[in-house]
Amino acid sequence: MAAHSGEMRKRTFVVTRFDPDVDQVPKTQSYEVACRPDWKVLDALNHIKDEVDPTLSHRWSCRMAVCGSCGMNVNGEPKLTCKTALSEYGDVVEVAPLANFPIVRDLVIEMDGFMEKFQAVKPWIITAKEKAAEQGTNLQSPEDLAAFKQFSMCINCMLCYAACPVVAKEPHFLGPAAIALGHRYNMDSRDEGAEERNEIFRGEGSVFHCSYANECSEVCPKGVDPAAAVNQAKLGAVVDWASSFVVKRSR
Amino acid sequence: MARPSHPEAMTPHRPGSTRTAPPQVPDDFWTRRRMLTYLLFDATGLPYMLVGLVALRVAFALGRGPEAWASLMEQFSHPIYVALHLLALVSVLFVGVRFFRLFPKAQPAKLGPAKPPPAPVIVIGLYGAWIGLTLALLVVLGGIWP
Amino acid sequence: MKPLLLRLEPVIWLLFGAGIMVGTMLLPAWLLTVGLGGPLGLLPEGALSYDRAHAIASNPIGRLVLLGIIALPLWKGAHHLRALFADWLGHGPDGLVGSLLYAVAVVGSVLGIYAVLTL
Repeated sequence: MAAHSGEMRKRTFVVTRFDPDVDQVPKTQSYEVACRPDWKVLDALNHIKDEVDPTLSHRWSCRMAVCGSCGMNVNGEPKLTCKTALSEYGDVVEVAPLANFPIVRDLVIEMDGFMEKFQAVKPWIITAKEKAAEQGTNLQSPEDLAAFKQFSMCINCMLCYAACPVVAKEPHFLGPAAIALGHRYNMDSRDEGAEERNEIFRGEGSVFHCSYANECSEVCPKGVDPAAAVNQAKLGAVVDWASSFVVKRSR
Repeated sequence: MARPSHPEAMTPHRPGSTRTAPPQVPDDFWTRRRMLTYLLFDATGLPYMLVGLVALRVAFALGRGPEAWASLMEQFSHPIYVALHLLALVSVLFVGVRFFRLFPKAQPAKLGPAKPPPAPVIVIGLYGAWIGLTLALLVVLGGIWP
Repeated sequence: MKPLLLRLEPVIWLLFGAGIMVGTMLLPAWLLTVGLGGPLGLLPEGALSYDRAHAIASNPIGRLVLLGIIALPLWKGAHHLRALFADWLGHGPDGLVGSLLYAVAVVGSVLGIYAVLTL
């Protein structure tokens, strides 16, 4: 038997439940679970599903904070449940679906809204002409990489959307991760699509609606700092807008 | 337990095949300390605007002559103006500290050929300029020189 | 109103940026002297007498600084209050709220230019 510091601790999990076939509105259900000292929130949820209530629905996958599947609101804060230790909490732990998203069932939210915003910023390398294979690979210096690498670390976990006060109130806003990823490509030396993306950044989903609350960066589990990206993107969009009056556009 | 977000927050244009519950935020979403600090930051917009409008009065008074000026300075000694200017002072300091903290990371790694200085240099520059400009203006407006 | 605001966002953001940066830098000294020190009698005799104040303000740099203290806080304030109202009331009224706030900033800035030129 493995030795572990600390003892088992009984905690009450107040979990949001919602079955669209049965419930008008979401409600909560409490489960008392004897938790191991090294457990994360996800371990408790899996225990509930495996041993107590098989009807509980929740997303998870890698258990190591790289897939972005297990985002939920724990005691009001957006967290990756696989990475959030129960030792940080007391006797009662509230687990709710990720804020600001439509709820499909229990702790599972509708992701397609994010996928739409994500695709809208064209998150891929855009070049005027495709490079022929004989011309060789793209060369990129460490300095080139450093310009965008941080923003490429996004795992699309959407915790930032759950934290953002603008996302809570404005449905068109592109949101932290989508803007950060668009900006990631604008800063990529291989990319030539900044003009297109900046037009989207100035469009209905406007990056300028970000009010720099910085909540997104506070909750990001991968150190992406989307607030930095969004506010860098504002400057990029303005410079692009100004230069459109001076330089002839390709489109 | 929860309060509603915008009813269409993060809602896809093509709905899924099952009925979803509307998006929500935790009860304390708007009242958590970090969020309140940010809302306070935005709220400093009011003292800033009022100070700007009061400065407009100052400019007009200077244009009208000594009597108008004396009258305005006398008004400024009333509690309501003193309170406004004190509140504005606290607001400006609060804004400055938060803004200077958040400003460096908002500079892209490169903008064309231009590259920003390292973040610590930017912060020192910002505070240096703040202190320098404040001292210079204090000297002038405070009667020391000219 | 919303589409117009959307098109003007880059300009608004630039004015806001100048407002928060330069406005915040200029205001402490202004508030300590013209706002508080002078009216409360804490400054040296004659520091903000009409003649001295007018002379300083009439200087080209003085006019510019005074205009900055009038206009820049208006743009910073309008933009931040707009965000506050958006957080509170949602984005439905944003077109109207934003337009009203920026209108105040525009009018204040224009009056400021006039006042500073006719000192």
